[in-house]
Amino acid sequence: MLQYVLRRFLIAVPMLLGAMSIVFFAMRVLPGDPCVAMMGDQATTEALADCTKNLGLNRPLAVQYVDYLWRSIRFDFGNSFRQGYPVSEYIARMFPHTFVLVTASAVVAALVGIPIGIVSALKRRNPLIDYPLRIIALLGLSMPVFWLGILLLIVFSLHLDLFPLIGGGDLDGVLGMIRSGEVFSHPADFLAGVGDVLHHLTLPALALGFTLAATVSRLSRSAMLEIISQDYIRTARAKGQGERAVVYKHALRNMMVPLLTIIGIFVAIALTGTVLTETVFTRPGLGKMLVDAIGARDYPLAQGAITVFTMIIILVNLVVDMLYAVVDPRVAYR
Amino acid sequence: MAIVRGADPADLALARAGEETRGTARARYLRRWLPISIGVLLAVAMIVVAAAAPLLAPLSPSAQFSDAVLKGPGAVERHLLGTDEFGRDLLSRIIWGARVSLQVGLASVIFGFGLGVPLGIVAGVRGGPSETLIMRCTDMLMAFPTLLLALIIVTALGGSLINEILAIGVALTPNFVRLARGLALTIREQDYILAARALGGGQLRVMARHVFPNALYALVVVATLYIATAIRTEAGLSFLGLGIPPPTPSWGNVLSEGRQYIKCCPWLTTFSGLAIMLAVLAFNLVGDALRDLLDPRLRGE
Repeated sequence: MLQYVLRRFLIAVPMLLGAMSIVFFAMRVLPGDPCVAMMGDQATTEALADCTKNLGLNRPLAVQYVDYLWRSIRFDFGNSFRQGYPVSEYIARMFPHTFVLVTASAVVAALVGIPIGIVSALKRRNPLIDYPLRIIALLGLSMPVFWLGILLLIVFSLHLDLFPLIGGGDLDGVLGMIRSGEVFSHPADFLAGVGDVLHHLTLPALALGFTLAATVSRLSRSAMLEIISQDYIRTARAKGQGERAVVYKHALRNMMVPLLTIIGIFVAIALTGTVLTETVFTRPGLGKMLVDAIGARDYPLAQGAITVFTMIIILVNLVVDMLYAVVDPRVAYR
Repeated sequence: MAIVRGADPADLALARAGEETRGTARARYLRRWLPISIGVLLAVAMIVVAAAAPLLAPLSPSAQFSDAVLKGPGAVERHLLGTDEFGRDLLSRIIWGARVSLQVGLASVIFGFGLGVPLGIVAGVRGGPSETLIMRCTDMLMAFPTLLLALIIVTALGGSLINEILAIGVALTPNFVRLARGLALTIREQDYILAARALGGGQLRVMARHVFPNALYALVVVATLYIATAIRTEAGLSFLGLGIPPPTPSWGNVLSEGRQYIKCCPWLTTFSGLAIMLAVLAFNLVGDALRDLLDPRLRGE
C-alpha cells in the first residue's frame, strides 16, 4: 500500500515538472516582447532594457527556467505585468470563486448525471426510458457551455429578471466574515451575503453542471453496465435475490471505484469549463483571469494561472489514485 | 384447465420474453439506425454547406448593409436570420463559418491521428525505453485538458486557421497515442503477428502492414468522436477571441461578437450557437453509432 502510494507520487512529480516546462517554454516563444507589450511602442531602448533587466528576462534561458520552477514550487509566480501585484495574490483571491463554481456544478452534474447514467444502464432495453435519457445526454455533450450560458442569461436574467447578468457576488465579503468571526456577531448579514453569492452562482453552475452531467452520465452508465455483467451480480440473481436488492446492495456499492475515476476526469474538464463559463457570465475566477491575462499579454499572470490549473488536475488525480487503493484493496497490489 | 390462472410461471416468462424480443427487435433496429441516420444527415449537410458556401450563402459574409443594422430574423426580407452590428447577414456568416469549423475539425483530427497513431503503435509494439519515453510525454500532455492545451499553444502561436489546427491537433495527439498503444498491445499478441514475424517481416513492416490495419477500425471510430471535440474546442477558442481573427466569420467569433447584444438581438448568439451544437451533435452521433456497430469492444467506453 505504502509502496503503491509512493510510486504513484513519484510518477506525479515528473508529470508536474513536465507540464510546468511546457507552460514555461510556451510562454517564452510568445510573439512580442513583454516589455513592449507593457510599455507600448513609444518606449525608449533604455527603458526597454531596464524593464527587461527588472523582469529578469536578460538572464540565460536555463537560469530563468530553474528560477521559475523553484519559485513555482513556492507559489511565487512573480508580479503581474499590468497591475504590479504578486500573481499569487491574484490567484488566492480568484481561487475561491472558481472553487465554488466547480463545486456547485459538480453537485448539479452529479444530481443529474449519475441517476441518468444508472437508470439508462439498467433500463437500456426500455426504449421509452433509454431514448429520452440518451438524447438528453447527447444534447448536453454537444451543447457548448458558453452557448447554454448565454441562453440561460437571455431567458432568466434578461426576460424573467430572476438572476443577475454579471458578477460573482460578494464572496470575498463572506469569506472575510468567516475569517473575522463576524459570522456570529452578524449572522443576518452573513446569510444575506451567502444568499447573494448563491444567487450569482445559480446560472453558471447550472450551465456548467448540465454540460458536465452528460459526461458524468456516460461514465456512470458504462460503469454500471460493466458492474451488472460481473459474476457476483449473476450470483446474487441466481440465489434468488430481487432485482432491487441486486441493484442497491451489489451494483451501487461497487460504483464507488468508477465514481472516483469520474471525479478525477470531472475536475479536469470542469476546470477547463470554468474558463468559458466565467467568461460568459463575467464572473471573477481563475478561468476569467487566465483569459484576461492572455488578452492583456500579462505573461506571469497567465503562466501562474495555467500552472495552478495543471497542479490542481495532477494533484486531484494523484489523490484519486490513492483513494482507489483505499476503496479497492486489489489496486494496491497491481 | 384454467389457462390463465394455472399458467406455468415458466410459460408466462417465455411468452413475455417472446413479446419482448419482438418489441426490442424493432427498438433495436431503430436504436441502431435512427441516430446514425440523423448524424450522417447532419454531417453531410454540414460538409455540403461548408464546401458550397459561396453558392449557398445568399450574400457576402462581409458585406455591410447600413440600412439593416441589428435587424431581427426576417425583419428585412433579404436577411433571413437577421443582421449583426455592422449590418452583415447572419445566415451568410453562419454558412461561411461552417468552413472554419469543418476545416479545423477535420484537419486537426488528421494531424492528431497522423502524429499520435504511429507513436502509439511504436510504443505498443516495441515497448522498452521508446515506450517509456513516448508514454511519459503523453502523460505530461494529458495533464492538460484539450481546451487548455490548445489555448496555451494558440496563445503562443497567435490566432489563425493553421495555428488553430496545429494547436487542437497537438492537444488531441495524446489521446490517439494512448488509444493506438492500447490497441497495439492487444494486436501484438495475435497469432497473425507471430506469423508475419516468422515470415521474416521486419518490425516496421509488421507495424505498418499488420498492426495498423487491424487497429484502423477502432481508431477511425474514435477519430469521428474527436472531430466533435475539435469543433467544440475551435468554437471555444474563437469564443474567447483566440481563434480566427475577425472579420473572417467562425461560429465562435460570431457568437462572441453577438454577446454584447444579447439584450436587443438574441438571434446572433442563438443561431451561431445552434450551428455549433448541431455540428458537434452530428459527429457525436456518427461516432457513437459507428462504435456500437463496428466495434463492440469499445462500447460504453
